[in-house]
Amino acid sequence: MTLDRIAEKVRAGERLDIEDGVVLFTTKDLLRVGVLANEVRERMHGDRTYFNRNMHINTTNVCYASCMFCSFARLEEGKPGAYTMSLDEAWGRLRAQDGNFLSEIHIVNGLHTGLPFDYYEELLRGLKRIRPEIHLKCFTAVEIHFFAEKFGMSYRQVLERLRAAGLDSLPGGGAEIFAARYRKKVCADKVDAEGWLQVHREWHRMGGKSNATMLYGMIETPEERADHLLRLRALQDETGGLQTFIPLAFHNEGNPLRKLPEPTGFDNLRVYAASRLLLDNVPHIKAYWIMVGEKIAQVAQSFGVDDVDGTVLEERIYHMAGAETPQGLTRKELVRLIKDAGRVPVERDTLYNVIWEEGQSVPERYSGVGANAGAIHLPVAS
Amino acid sequence: MTDKRLYSERTKRTRTADDDRAARQDARVKRLSAVMYLNARPLYHGISQGIGGGRFSLVTAPPAECARMLVEGEVDAGLVPVAALARDGLYRVVPGVAVGCRGPVGSVVVHSERPIEELTDVVLDSSSRTSVVLLRLLLRRRLGREPRYVSMAPERLGEQVAGTTGALVIGDESMRLRGRFPFEWDLGGAWFEWTGLPFVFAVWAARAADLTETDVALLAESARRGEAALAEIAGGDPDKLRYLREQVRYALGAEEAAGLQRFFDLASDAGLLPEHRVSFFGERPRRRSSLDGLLGKAAAGERLSADDAVRLGEEASLFDLGAAADAVRCRKHGDAVVTYIIDRNINYTNVCVTACRFCAFFRPVGHAEGYTLSRETLAEKTRTLVEAGGIQILLQGGLNPDLPIEWYEDLFHWFKTEFPTVAMHALSPEEILYIARITGITLERTLERLHAAGLDSVPGGGAEVLVDRIRRQIAPLKCTSDEWLEVMRVAHRMGLRSSATMMFGSGETLLDRVQHFLKVRDLQDETGGFTAFISWDYQHDKGTRVVPGETGSHVYLRTQALSRLVLDNVPSIQSSWVTQGPGVGQAALRFGANDFGSVMFEENVVSAAGTTFCMDEAMIRRHIEASGFRPVRRNMRYELLA
Repeated sequence: MTLDRIAEKVRAGERLDIEDGVVLFTTKDLLRVGVLANEVRERMHGDRTYFNRNMHINTTNVCYASCMFCSFARLEEGKPGAYTMSLDEAWGRLRAQDGNFLSEIHIVNGLHTGLPFDYYEELLRGLKRIRPEIHLKCFTAVEIHFFAEKFGMSYRQVLERLRAAGLDSLPGGGAEIFAARYRKKVCADKVDAEGWLQVHREWHRMGGKSNATMLYGMIETPEERADHLLRLRALQDETGGLQTFIPLAFHNEGNPLRKLPEPTGFDNLRVYAASRLLLDNVPHIKAYWIMVGEKIAQVAQSFGVDDVDGTVLEERIYHMAGAETPQGLTRKELVRLIKDAGRVPVERDTLYNVIWEEGQSVPERYSGVGANAGAIHLPVAS
Repeated sequence: MTDKRLYSERTKRTRTADDDRAARQDARVKRLSAVMYLNARPLYHGISQGIGGGRFSLVTAPPAECARMLVEGEVDAGLVPVAALARDGLYRVVPGVAVGCRGPVGSVVVHSERPIEELTDVVLDSSSRTSVVLLRLLLRRRLGREPRYVSMAPERLGEQVAGTTGALVIGDESMRLRGRFPFEWDLGGAWFEWTGLPFVFAVWAARAADLTETDVALLAESARRGEAALAEIAGGDPDKLRYLREQVRYALGAEEAAGLQRFFDLASDAGLLPEHRVSFFGERPRRRSSLDGLLGKAAAGERLSADDAVRLGEEASLFDLGAAADAVRCRKHGDAVVTYIIDRNINYTNVCVTACRFCAFFRPVGHAEGYTLSRETLAEKTRTLVEAGGIQILLQGGLNPDLPIEWYEDLFHWFKTEFPTVAMHALSPEEILYIARITGITLERTLERLHAAGLDSVPGGGAEVLVDRIRRQIAPLKCTSDEWLEVMRVAHRMGLRSSATMMFGSGETLLDRVQHFLKVRDLQDETGGFTAFISWDYQHDKGTRVVPGETGSHVYLRTQALSRLVLDNVPSIQSSWVTQGPGVGQAALRFGANDFGSVMFEENVVSAAGTTFCMDEAMIRRHIEASGFRPVRRNMRYELLA
């Protein structure tokens, strides 16, 4: 398989297979893989690049799992650096944003063996009490699986109770690399691939939307990367519930793999492009700027990426792994990051309803303190 | 019915807007620049006499300066040397009038002691690009000769003539030299013998929108009045009158136009000028070539005009620019190797009188945080470098009024004694000019003394954008573009090599960036002394005071690719990972760059504005390898080390 053959397939609208994936993940021909991914990206989204105004809250980093790549988790309460927020503290993070427009809260946590299920339900309820309209994108499939086991419920039961408490969609974390060989070595305590996919399947069947990720740059082979994406593509064929795929590059500080070199920017761009080409049925590819930095996030918008995540406000997970990016960007900075990449910024909500698009004026309601005066608007149902 | 009404309304509105624009255009005073030589005076005689009734303002200047004013928008029209038409590709020509000749012209002549065929060196005045191109073309294509060309100030050319060294002297100076040397090779005559056509030296040129029909008619009228007043213009000097009457021709008809086009065709074929089709005011605009055609031309390494480059910069996609730049890069350097050097950036002082608005590094004189490094510190830093296999230091600092040339001479002597294997890549043009000024000696003398003390090459920093309108905005106390270029010209003439840089994104236009590339390319045609070109975007953060224009990594990749395409005569393009981060630095290797800069032990200037990327040698090699290239160390001259 060569890039020529892949180009023919992409232009003819044919699906790529695992061998194509291996070529895409190993090619040194950055320009050609970029051109192809950019064609697909522009066919799907034109010049638009999406962002949102979100905040991250990680209410606990206590986690019984010991994944090798993780710099965030602490095994037990009381260990240095371990923390668990009280509900009031967690809600306080949102209250502190009084006057700032936010359309989404993103919550992922450690697998804490000592917290009751109530904690999670009440966490969501409390956030909705403070801002009923905010979208709660919380708990990875790994956490849902953990709740099901710990509290003796099915995935469906867990998801239904959380939805009743305010859950709006699922983030895509915890997927890592699906291959069993890899999970055994790197994250043996985590739910397996089938479990991860099943949680998302159940959620999609309930009408929910979710994201998916891939953590790359450790011991996985190019085949395993391609296999990972094709399994996601198969799930998407079945349910259509995935909105966005987010490739995540391994960072090596503060974890047992600090001698393993991190993927370079070249690899990051190639992964974005390959993902865009292999996942022909997932609408969005996101460059998480926290992880790759603003510079690559800009260039990535020509390598298949149409989303750069959001303002974030207080990132912890990648920063504990040595990320040198800011912990948050203002809306103005995000808009500039997109415009300087030659794209048209579009502010979205979690479900990709357009809140604002460059060139449109902005209703008062979403402007708010610190929102860079004059810049925002009403969600428009799609 | 409705449609028709809408249509007619729209047509009417449009016409009104056009009329307004034409009226405004007509009402504005037109700024003109014209070549200051005697032979050009008949063309603007009428204007000097006030035709148009205050419609025109006129400045006279040397040929290259007239062309510069036109491309940088300081004048609306210029009586410019014709090479500018091809270099810039932006103008139409006023028909009917020109400065030309049919046979010997008398004022564009190689003076020498030996016949033209025997010359090994020709000194020339770089301010007359058309004559220089004509000479090179004639020697290369007509006589099959490639002598060394050395440029210098026009008043010193005559002194250089000796043995097999001739001098191309133009204008009034050439007439003064008449009869001084045994051999005089008249370029007008040589051209006519070769082609049987007239040669056109200078024409009125302007962007299509900048001259109205009335303006064009008045410029033609001005020349007619000049032709009628040759005796007055010659000021009673019979030699001058004979010259103006018999040797210079002021017509630009079909035969002259054919000669002009022939010149462009031959010069582009010889790689001396971009391909160019002459276009006259009053003609229907010519259809532009396709973007794909232009990309193909760029990828093939053909010479691009300013217009070509602006068009690529505006219209070509990121990947089209990348692919074309990659093709050029691979042809020049192969597809396998990326070079890097182990050197160390040392900022010997942060005290600076310049106060550039984009700089977060400098401290004013007397400031508590001002420093000048001691020899102990310098030695320690250099020892660390040598232990890491380093072979060069990049020594740059502020403009510190307490450091005269003796300080640098002592420092360089000491340094070369202590570290004989380490190359001294030191002092940007701004610093060299400043040292000359506070010491009270000429630029030549300053460079000679620094060179003798151990200076090996000159870093190309402080170029920012080589357009004075921009420099005045962002760095009002810095040297002019011409001064910056002059330092490099003199340094190259002494055999010093240098790099050239550009910091963009501080409010300049795309044409300004292109003009920067072309100024570097023009000088490189003259001297061949530039080793590499490095560009980056303005890093704005704390402490910087210029409002950023087009910045970011996307624009960086586009700009770098464009620099590779325009700078056809500069060997290397360096990826600026220090400003762009290692990842974008890698991508840059497919957007025209063949060099990955150097190991960063420390960086103080860009990081003062918040940008900090550092890599050691292992990381540099890993990044080059991950991008599909073999990392190879190089030296200061960009020669590969095994």
